[in-house]
Amino acid sequence: MQLLNTLLIGITAGSIYSLMAIAFVLVWRSTRVVNFAQAGMALLSTYFGYEAVSRLGSFWIALPVAMIGGALFAALVELVLMRLLVKHASSGPIAGVAPIIATLGLLGVIRSVISMIWGGQDLRIVAPISNNGFTINGSTLVFSPLKLLVLVVVVVLLILLSILFQKTNLGLALRASAHAPEIARLSGVRVDSVRTLGWALAGAAGAVAGLFQTVNGNGNFSPDSIDFSLLLVSGFIAAVIGGLDSLLGAVLGGLFLGISISFVLMYISSGLFFIAPFVILLIVLFVRPQGIIGVKAGRRA
Amino acid sequence: MHKSKKQSTHLPLFILGGIVLVILSGIVDELRVYQGATIAVYVIAISSIILLTGYSGQVSLGHGALMAVGAYAAAVLRAEFNVPIILCFIAAVLAAAVGGTLLGAAAARLSGPYLAGTTLALAIGLPSLANQFPILGGEQGLAFDVGFPPLALGEDFTQYKWYFWIAALAALISMWSVRNILNSAYGRSWRAGRGNEVAAQLAGINTARSKVLAFTISAGIAGLAGALLAMTIGTVSPSAFPLALSFSLLTGAVLSGISTLGGVIIGSVVLVAIPEIADVVAHRLGSSESVTTNLPGLIVSGLLILTVLFVPNGPVEQHRARKAKHEAAHNSTKK
Amino acid sequence: MKALQRRTLLTATAVLATVGLAVTALPAQAAEVGVTASQIKLGMTLPMTGTASLGYNKIPGAAKAYFDYLNANGGINGRKITLVVKDDRYVPTEAVAKTNELILKDKVMALLAPLGTANVKAVATSVNPARRGVPVLFVNTGFSGFADTKKYPTTYTVLPSYIMEAKIMGEYIKENFAGKKIGLLYQDDDFGIDALAGFKTAGVNFAVKVPYASGSQSAASAAGWITKFKAAEADVVILFGVSSATSAMLGTAAQLGYKPQWMLGSVGGDATTIKLTGVPAGVLYNAIGFSPVPATTDMTDEYVKFFSDIYAKAVPGSAFDLNVLLGMNTAFMTAQALKAAGPNPTRKSLMAAIDSKGATFASSALVPAGYSKTSHVGLTGYWVGKYAPTGDLAPIGGTYVTYTTDSGSGPVVKSTYKRPAMPAKGLPN
Repeated sequence: MQLLNTLLIGITAGSIYSLMAIAFVLVWRSTRVVNFAQAGMALLSTYFGYEAVSRLGSFWIALPVAMIGGALFAALVELVLMRLLVKHASSGPIAGVAPIIATLGLLGVIRSVISMIWGGQDLRIVAPISNNGFTINGSTLVFSPLKLLVLVVVVVLLILLSILFQKTNLGLALRASAHAPEIARLSGVRVDSVRTLGWALAGAAGAVAGLFQTVNGNGNFSPDSIDFSLLLVSGFIAAVIGGLDSLLGAVLGGLFLGISISFVLMYISSGLFFIAPFVILLIVLFVRPQGIIGVKAGRRA
Repeated sequence: MHKSKKQSTHLPLFILGGIVLVILSGIVDELRVYQGATIAVYVIAISSIILLTGYSGQVSLGHGALMAVGAYAAAVLRAEFNVPIILCFIAAVLAAAVGGTLLGAAAARLSGPYLAGTTLALAIGLPSLANQFPILGGEQGLAFDVGFPPLALGEDFTQYKWYFWIAALAALISMWSVRNILNSAYGRSWRAGRGNEVAAQLAGINTARSKVLAFTISAGIAGLAGALLAMTIGTVSPSAFPLALSFSLLTGAVLSGISTLGGVIIGSVVLVAIPEIADVVAHRLGSSESVTTNLPGLIVSGLLILTVLFVPNGPVEQHRARKAKHEAAHNSTKK
Repeated sequence: MKALQRRTLLTATAVLATVGLAVTALPAQAAEVGVTASQIKLGMTLPMTGTASLGYNKIPGAAKAYFDYLNANGGINGRKITLVVKDDRYVPTEAVAKTNELILKDKVMALLAPLGTANVKAVATSVNPARRGVPVLFVNTGFSGFADTKKYPTTYTVLPSYIMEAKIMGEYIKENFAGKKIGLLYQDDDFGIDALAGFKTAGVNFAVKVPYASGSQSAASAAGWITKFKAAEADVVILFGVSSATSAMLGTAAQLGYKPQWMLGSVGGDATTIKLTGVPAGVLYNAIGFSPVPATTDMTDEYVKFFSDIYAKAVPGSAFDLNVLLGMNTAFMTAQALKAAGPNPTRKSLMAAIDSKGATFASSALVPAGYSKTSHVGLTGYWVGKYAPTGDLAPIGGTYVTYTTDSGSGPVVKSTYKRPAMPAKGLPN
C-alpha cells in the first residue's frame, strides 16, 4: 500500500512537472532559449484564471481564459523582449548568457508586478472536481478524480501537440524553423511568426500547469508560492532529463523526476526535499548525458 | 590606453586604491562604512562571475552555493578549532575551489542552459544540507567571529571599520589577482575558447581543462566572498545564501559589464544602493505598501532587462566598442 | 562707576547662570536617541516579501493599528509613536543591513519584534544592539536561547519557547494518551530541534517522526507524510510546524479520509489562518490545541474584542488572526513599557521598566510572563484546548486550564495565574 501510494504521489507530481517541461521544450525548439520566466508566466496565467473564476464562476471557462492569456503574454514577450535581444545582444561575451539573464529579469518583473497588483496574500481557486482519494478495499489511495484529470490533460496535450508537429504544415514549419531557420526562410516559412507561435503554445501549456498545480494543492497561491519556484526547477530538470528537444521526453522526464523524488522522500528522508532534484539531475547527466530521449550532441547547444 | 605597460601588474595602482579606501573609511559615517564592507564583498563575488561568465563563457546561477561552501568552511574552522582568522579565509578559498572543481568537471560536459539549470538546482539544494549536519549549526547558523579590531588602531575604531578594512583589503588582493590571471596565458585561452571552441582546440588549447580551471578559480574567489559575507553578519546560516543572492551576483555582473573587470565597482554599488533608492522613490510617490515593498525587486529586475537589451556588454565595453567603431570609421576615411 | 560695573557684572553672571541652567536642562529633555518632545521612534525588520512573509507581513499593520489608536488618544505623555518598518525578506544579510539603517540612519530608540532565529542571531553579532545599548523588544521567535541575558543583555523574548510547548504537550500525552502510538511532524531545523529536546525531557517516545525541510510543505508533500503516519499506524499525530504545514496536512488528510487524533502546536495552530486556506472546519474538530493567548475568534474575551475592533477599522478586509493578535499585543506591551519608563524615557529606563514591571503588564496572554531583573523570559506556558465543531480552539470544559514550565528540566505545573484586567480604553496607565 505504501509502495503504491508512493508511486501515485510521484505520478501526480510528475504529470504537472511534465506540463511545465512541455512548455520549456516548446520554447527551446522554437528559439533555442531556456525561458527561466516560464514559472512566472504560469503564475501570471493563474492570476488570469483566478480573475475569470471569480467573475464567471466556472473553472472550465477559466482554464481556456488562462491559456489564452498565457499564450498572448508569451507571444508578447517573444515579440518585444526576445526580438530586441536578438537585435542587440547577439554578439560579444554576453551573447551566450543574454537570454538566460533576460528571462531571469523577466521573472523578477512579473513577480513584483503581480505583488503590486494583487498583493502578497494567498488567493484561492477551488478544484472543479473532487480531489478526494479513490477507496479500494476500505483504504483510500492518494489518487483522486482530479489527479486522474491532470493525467488525462497531460496525455491529451501531448497527443494534440504531437499531431500539430507531425501531421500539419504548421508543425513542419515549426520544426523547420527550429532546426534550419535559414533554409526554412528560403523555402518561404515565416520563421519569425512561427517562433512567436512556439512561445504562445508554451505560454498556454504553462497556464495549464499553473492552474492544475494550484487546484491539485489546496487551491491557494500567492506571488511567493513555493509551488511555483518548484515548477520552475522541477519543470526545467524534467525537460533536461527528457533531452530538452522532445515532447515525449519532457513527459517521461517529468514522470521520472516526480516518481524518483517521491521515493527518495518516502524511503530515505523527507528532509531531502531541496537537494533531491539536484542529485537526480546530476545522476541522469552522468549516466545518460543525452537525456532519456535525445540526440548525442544535445547538451552542447 | 596603457598598451605599452602590458607587462606591468598595476601593483602601485592597487596600493594607491587601498590608501584612498583607508582615508575614506575615516571620513564617512558608520552606516556607510558597513555598506562599504558589503560593497567590497560584492566586488569580490561579482569578479568571480565575470571571470567565469565573461571570460570563460560559462554561466553559473549557483555561485551563492559556492559562497556558502566558503563561509561554512571558515566558520567551522573558527568555531570548532579556533583557527587563526587569516587561515580561515584561506580555507574558505580552498574549500570552495574544491567544490568548484567538482562542479566544473560536471559543467565541462554541459553548456549554456544545461549548466544554468544544474547550477540553479545546486543553489536551491546545497544550503538546505546544512540542516542535515549538526556541526553546521542548522537554520540558526554558526557564529563567525573575526574578533575585535586591534587595540593599536585606537578606541574609536569601530567593528564595522574593521570589517571594512578586512573586506577592502581582500577585494584589492583578489581584484589584483583576477586581473593578472585574466592577462595570463590562462585568461587568453579562456577568451579563445569562449569565442570559438573548435578553433581554440585546433590551436592546441585543452578547452575542457581550461574550463574546469576557470570554474575552480572562480569558485575559490566566490568562497572568499562567502566567508567575508559571513564576517559582516557575524554568522553563517542557510538562509543567508538564498537563490536571490545568486541572481543578484549575476545582475551585478551584467550591470558591471560581463567582461569588464574594471566595471565591477559599478555593479556592486548599484546592488547596495538600489534598496535605498527604491525607498526614497516610494516615499516621494507616497505609494501604497504593496508597491513600496516590491519596488526594489522591480527596479533590480527591470534594470537587468534594460541593461541586457541596451548595454548588453556593459557600460565600459559599450564605450570602448563605440570608440573603436569611431576610430575604424576615421581610419577608413583616411585611406 | 565701580558700583555700576559690579552690578553689571553681577547681572551678567546671573544671566549666564540662568542660561547655563537652561542649557544643561534642555538636553536632559531630549537626551535619548529616537525620542523628541513630540515623538518616539521604533524600528522593525521582518519579511514583508518572499516565501517566509506569508502571515507575518500582517504584523506591522497590526502594531501600527494599535499605535495609531494610541496616538489618537494622546500617545505616551504627548509623544506619538512612529514605527519604521523594513523588509528583510527573511535573509540574515538583509536583516543586518536594514537594522543598521534603523539604528544608524533612522536613529530609532528601540527595535521591535524582529523575526526569525537566524536573523536575530546575525543582528545580535554584527549590529550588536547590546553594545550600542539598543533594546530589542519582544523577539518574535520561540527559540529559547534569546532569553540568555549574558549573551543578549538588551533582548527580551515574548513567546513561550518551543521547548516549553513540547514539554507541556508531553505532559498532556502522559496524562491522556498513555500507551498510544505517537507520530510527530516537525521542521528539520532549530524549530524542530528545540521541540525534540522538549519532548525528550518530557519522556515522549515516538512511533514515527517525520521531518520536513522548511519551505517544502505543500499538499503534495503532505500526501507523502500521511502515507508514513498510516504505515506506522500512529494513533496521535502531533503537527509541530508552521501554519502552511498544518494546512497542507489537514487539507490532504480530509481528501484521504485520514483521521488520527490531531495535536497542533501553537505556531501552526491558528484556526483562522488554517480555515482561510480552505481546510474544512470539521477536520479541526476535536483536535488538541495549545496557545498562550485566547482564541482569535473568542469575542467574549475583552482583549480579543478590543484588538479586533481596532484592527477592523484600521485594516478593513483583513482577517484578524493569531499574527495580528500577537502583533497588537506586542505593541500594547511596548506602550506600557514606554509609559512605565518615566516622563522622559531612555533606552535604559525602558529596559529597567520591563525588568521591574514587565511581569505585571496587562496583556491578552493567559499565562504569566517571566520578566525580572535577572530574566528576560517572556510568556512561560500554554493553555490546552480542543477545537470546536466550528473549527475554533476553545478551552476544554469551558474553563482555561493553563500549564507553565521553563526551557530547562523544570517540572510542568498547572498555573493559577489570573491575568490583569484591561486598562480603561486599552491605554497604558
